[in-house]
Amino acid sequence: MKILAFETTGKYGSASVIADDGIIHSASGDQEMNHLRGIIGLADEALCDAGISKNELTHVAASVGPGSFTGIRIGVTAARTLSQFLNIPCISVSSLEAMALGASPAASDAGCDAVAVIINARRHQVYAGAWKKRSDGSMEVLLEEKQYMIEEFLELLKYCDSVYFAGDGIDAYEDIISEYRSGASTLYAPPEIRYQNASTVAALTYARAKAGKVMSYDELMPEYMRLAEAEQKLKEGTLSDKICKISK
Amino acid sequence: MKDGKFLTLGIETSCDETAASVVADGRFVMSNVISSQIDIHTNYGGVVPEIASRKHLERINDVMDKALSDAGVSAGEIDLIGVTYGPGLVGALLIGVAAAKTMAFALDIPLVGVNHMHGHIAANYPEHHELEPPFMALVVSGGHTEIVNVTDYNKCEKIGSTRDDAAGEAFDKVARVIGLGYPGGPKIDKAAKSGDRDAVHFKRVYLEDGSYDFSFSGLKTQALNYLNSERQAGREIKVNDVAASFQEAVVEVIADKAVSAALEFNRDKIVMAGGVASNSRLRELMEEKASKHGISIIKPSPVMCTDNAAMIASSAYYAHLAGESSGFDLDAVPGLEF
Ligand SMILES: [Zn+2]
Repeated sequence: MKILAFETTGKYGSASVIADDGIIHSASGDQEMNHLRGIIGLADEALCDAGISKNELTHVAASVGPGSFTGIRIGVTAARTLSQFLNIPCISVSSLEAMALGASPAASDAGCDAVAVIINARRHQVYAGAWKKRSDGSMEVLLEEKQYMIEEFLELLKYCDSVYFAGDGIDAYEDIISEYRSGASTLYAPPEIRYQNASTVAALTYARAKAGKVMSYDELMPEYMRLAEAEQKLKEGTLSDKICKISK
Repeated sequence: MKDGKFLTLGIETSCDETAASVVADGRFVMSNVISSQIDIHTNYGGVVPEIASRKHLERINDVMDKALSDAGVSAGEIDLIGVTYGPGLVGALLIGVAAAKTMAFALDIPLVGVNHMHGHIAANYPEHHELEPPFMALVVSGGHTEIVNVTDYNKCEKIGSTRDDAAGEAFDKVARVIGLGYPGGPKIDKAAKSGDRDAVHFKRVYLEDGSYDFSFSGLKTQALNYLNSERQAGREIKVNDVAASFQEAVVEVIADKAVSAALEFNRDKIVMAGGVASNSRLRELMEEKASKHGISIIKPSPVMCTDNAAMIASSAYYAHLAGESSGFDLDAVPGLEF
């Protein structure tokens, strides 16, 4: 198996290649929100580094969110299109789960039972989930991935004595987290493993490909975790003329 | 290449149409797939950018697939990929650009970014095989009202444009205040057919002498004032008459200015383009006014007036012939100029 994985749901884009030797070759962008300009260059760089031609790829994977809506769309569209024209299946990975996996060795080393990943969704909201590593290395879900109020999420986590946090939600809500968890053991992932990275997406992908958890390009869907604002308002019956729209 | 013909795949996602098309030798449309989102956006009274982006993503790959299969060609037979990279909604544009560059990468096909407005003008090439620049172009749509001096393929010099609302925007606004709803352009065109265009006098705004610019924002206020005074006087509002009178005020100014521009620049052809170019009264009036001066009017069929990808493929083909190409770092440029 030779898998190319995209992660473009955070500030910086990255692409990684994993093959049967288990070694991950990665390329990361160094400019913020440069996903559209950078994505093919990153894929090409990761493939070159791995010494694999794009025509040898057996699968293509994408982190489908949650995260930046724009970023999600670029990674998912690239993965779908590669799948379509290289005739290979897709693999879908959650950005939160990939970050949890990336943070879990450090969490174990620090003696934490749980890994919580929080992505800033503004106005006290987070896209978040919490996991516990089982003895066989697999991840057990403690709190399901969805949109929470940060306070609500922390309240639900209260029964965990020690929690290792990752995700850019730390940057936004560290004060609130510290306050909620005063007295409990709380650790924050250092910058190297705090944010999204394609290498952890690739790592998750390999087991998934082996287990046959693959799909066709039209089944690879973004996970925004949130309706478009106008859609939400239409549902609530509060759609006003002020919603952003344009005439044709 | 297929049967000695150079095949371009065009991709267009600048607003609310997800489109792909295969065009041979820049002039022969082999497929023209357009997946419109109009039914979705009608619920909101206009295009909602975030929803447009989401729908483009869900549809683009199937639309590309259908464009290839309708044309009876395989992806490997495509010689060039052309994609709209601006102007338009940034979130919508980037889906097309991401899909185009990824396909170009996957199959080692050259890529060229296309200016959507050049595309609208190029919509005429597949339909009028003898048409070649130079000519004067009139581009009218929801976002644009422009008179453009076209000196060569994809070489456009803008000589006039709107200072406030685009023609299509004015149609939308007035359609809303007179209760015709969205989308305004086609609804007004239809209502006007059974209305009296002299029933209400709306001001023709020509701006200063010799200017090819437009201003339509005052028309909405005028329409509102008219409706208020009629209601206060207890008179029944004849929607068809208001639509016909308003439409006349818009298209008369457009037609006059386009013909003056052609005369000043010595062009014997005016090429129409853009969504509003399918307005039946504008087409009629353009013919009427231009024929007095021996100027011919070239216009695309209604489907080629709307956003489509055949026009993007045609424009891309001529850009490619002129030696243009784009790298994998092609970006979406929402405010791209002519
Ligand atoms: Zn257009």
